[in-house]
Amino acid sequence: MSRLALSLRINGETHEVLTAPHRTLLDVLRDDLGLTGTKENCLEAECGVCTVLLDGRAVNACILLAAQCRGRDIVTIEGLASGGELHPLQRAFVERGAVQCGYCIPGMILSAKAYLEECPEASEDGIREALAGNLCRCTGYQKITEAVATAARELYGGRTTQ
Amino acid sequence: MSTGPRVVGQRLPRLDAPGKVTGTAVYAADFALPGMLHGKVLRSREAHARLLGVDAARARTLPGVRAVITAADVPDVRYGGALKDETVFARDKVRYVGQPVAAVAATTREAAEAALAAIDVAYEPLPAVFDVEAALAPGAPLIHEAWPTYTAIPILHREGNVCNRARIVAGDVERGFVEADRVFEHRFRTGMVHQGYTEPRAAVAVWDTSGQVTVWSNTQLPFEIQNTLAEILALPPSKIRVIVPGIGGGFGGKLRVGVEHFAALLARRAGRPVKIVTTCEEELTAAYPRQSTRVELKTGVTRDGRITAKAGRIWFDTGAFAGSGPGVASVATLVLAGPYRIPNLLIEGYAVYTNKTNCGSFRAPSGPQANFAVESQMDMIADALGLDPLDFRLKNIVREGDEGPTGQVLTAVGLEECLRRAAAAIGWADRRPTADRGKGLACGWWTTTGGSSGVYVKLNPDGTVALNTGAAEIGTAALTGAAQVLAEDLGVDLADISVVSADTFATPFDFGAQGSRTAFAVGNACRAAAADLRRQLCALAAAQWGVAAETLTVRDKHVVGDGKRIALVELARLSQASGGGLIAHGTFIAPPTAYDAKRVEAHVYPAFHSPSFHAHAVDLSVDRETGEVTLHRYVVAQDVGFAMNPTYIEGQIEGGVAQGLGQALSEEIVYEGGRVLNPNLTDYKMPTTLDLPRVESILVEHPSPVGPYGAKGVGEPPNIEPPAAVANAVAAAVGVRVTTLPITAEKVALALSGEATP
Ligand code: FES
Ligand code: FES
Repeated sequence: MSRLALSLRINGETHEVLTAPHRTLLDVLRDDLGLTGTKENCLEAECGVCTVLLDGRAVNACILLAAQCRGRDIVTIEGLASGGELHPLQRAFVERGAVQCGYCIPGMILSAKAYLEECPEASEDGIREALAGNLCRCTGYQKITEAVATAARELYGGRTTQ
Repeated sequence: MSTGPRVVGQRLPRLDAPGKVTGTAVYAADFALPGMLHGKVLRSREAHARLLGVDAARARTLPGVRAVITAADVPDVRYGGALKDETVFARDKVRYVGQPVAAVAATTREAAEAALAAIDVAYEPLPAVFDVEAALAPGAPLIHEAWPTYTAIPILHREGNVCNRARIVAGDVERGFVEADRVFEHRFRTGMVHQGYTEPRAAVAVWDTSGQVTVWSNTQLPFEIQNTLAEILALPPSKIRVIVPGIGGGFGGKLRVGVEHFAALLARRAGRPVKIVTTCEEELTAAYPRQSTRVELKTGVTRDGRITAKAGRIWFDTGAFAGSGPGVASVATLVLAGPYRIPNLLIEGYAVYTNKTNCGSFRAPSGPQANFAVESQMDMIADALGLDPLDFRLKNIVREGDEGPTGQVLTAVGLEECLRRAAAAIGWADRRPTADRGKGLACGWWTTTGGSSGVYVKLNPDGTVALNTGAAEIGTAALTGAAQVLAEDLGVDLADISVVSADTFATPFDFGAQGSRTAFAVGNACRAAAADLRRQLCALAAAQWGVAAETLTVRDKHVVGDGKRIALVELARLSQASGGGLIAHGTFIAPPTAYDAKRVEAHVYPAFHSPSFHAHAVDLSVDRETGEVTLHRYVVAQDVGFAMNPTYIEGQIEGGVAQGLGQALSEEIVYEGGRVLNPNLTDYKMPTTLDLPRVESILVEHPSPVGPYGAKGVGEPPNIEPPAAVANAVAAAVGVRVTTLPITAEKVALALSGEATP
């Protein structure tokens, strides 16, 4: 089988991987690089647990070929906390009780991060819109949206409406 | 503990949250071992057919394939819960589309898939039955011809395609109907729905040279899986270690063996570790969903709104194997009787085989289906009698000291408070505030499942405490709740507790994360262990000081008394220097709930333990053109006994309501001719952020005499009432009564146009 040599920039670090051309970014993250914080479920872009940031935009890694990510900037959940400090979104998810089983949470946090960077003046409707592609079966989304609003206030000041 | 509670009842963050938000928590689907193969399962394409042959010769020769197994390669055993009717692979015939026929392990998922495609299966189709009516019709084909020879718990009442008929008989139902001024008869139906956990079922198995297998799985019940694997593999349980690394949701769908047995069998054949993860299609066609049901209710009422008698029957389409059916049909009778004082009852629950996937347990099994019928009918009767639905309920609900349907004496009954507070919060006085807008109420009751729990509690060298429990943390924060109990009783902080859980070799037995029991039962085991550890700590300090241990107490991370204090960290050092450290063992088993055995037949679950009571209220609008429902507000008042950690109880309520609203409005596994039409997450519609209203939780506290600090089970109940509350609100809003689930926009629009009774 033919293999592609890819250089992928993930969480600010460059990884050289050798992979079959049909493999997805999700396969490479989880199986080759051991970055299992990015989750897998439907593999059909329907649930959002595999969400990562690609050049700052939230995308489903399960339908993205690894080869499409050459030369682009990938952020996974493992890249968020820095120096042992949780990112404000992560902290808000912990403190607001937004985490239950947690399987959807990495994807939720990354979708929220992409949204807040685009819309620092986050509104509840905007948050719900931004997270509409991330299924959560445990929480009913309420404490998740509250956590995102809390983080928005911390990150961008008191502008967030609830 | 002299002052008020410091840890229980507090809104503290769950212990496992940091790992979950950083992506470092390992779930079963993430678990991997060196040299691991990937397993896949070949599933039947026929709903009911004789299996003429399974030819795997070609598959075995394909590149990368390391093991192929069929029925011929595995022990010929039937396993199951109350009724042992399942086999690992179909043997002489297949009974549903999706039934396992063979399994393969290969070096890549692609190679495994190619091998599945290379297995030839020859079928000879047989007449099939796809619903309860067809299965019960005279002369219907038998799904299990040999049903009388199967092993089952003796109390089941079985006959042909009926794998249990449970019954409650109280008073004289016919006399009760004679005493009634009006008798109402209604029928309802509910669809099959999936638990919808976001992590697929997954297992990794590896054998060692001594013939012991270790399985990492996302099961809710590691000890049950250990026993099931022992049956399937024909090994003693001591050769089977089941470890739960982490679970991405279960909701009852991960109670029974899922892919663990395939992984173990393939790993043994291949001599290498094997991992299997289900696909989304397998989940929606061959998992353990909630049974679809038909319900008939006949209720007699006096003119002033007193219920004199109820006759009810509910039929569960349990699919090709019994699964949880016999038990679920039993539990259903208690839900169908309802939290009402009804002197005369005849209630029956049937579990019926059909040629569909094997159904199982889903959060409050039977709850939403039976409650939808009961609580819809309560409103229909109230409307017919010109009574307010709240008043009609208040006239009939159970109160402190009343009898339940099987004669149990009810205590800590918070139902009236729940109903009144939910109604007040939703603004019940203004039930139809504007055109096409309406409010609905529904109430119910549920059990706190029994079963035993054991914990070991160990004092760490630094004076912190390790909690070792056989229960798995499935997301509810139940183990954080149990740890709060432990921290409270040991005078330490929640942050001082670390949890080790769910390993059948290393942790004590636990009946498992099911039935709203984990915080309740593990919490009580923690109370027992804490008492023992306090005794040991005091004895150690007493020996140091030469005083009587009875004069000492444990408080604020110290043993104190006799004018002295010594820190736990110092006692830890002393105990390690002299006595092998301190370990306490705590156990709990819920005391049996007394009931009148003469009232039940073939009943697996005759009384609700430490019952919880709840009322839901919803405010919604209906679009008359499209039939679409818009949810404005949702209120839950739930009697939780004692709110161990209000944040996560709200989380259970918000999440349970979300799932219940999915079942109410959009979710259904749709079958046609034995095939699932919507085996993907686009067509199986679970609620997203855009579909849900804010949920307001009112935590009512009527303490359970046996729960830890009075707590009752809280996880399942929020899932029960949403369908009925929505149906009642839709009726209030636009005057149409939908009696089948889900209440899709299409059904509402059709009913509004007067075209069909949905
Ligand atoms: S796994 Fe990628 S969207 Fe579901
Ligand atoms: S927390 Fe379990 S799926 Fe979201």
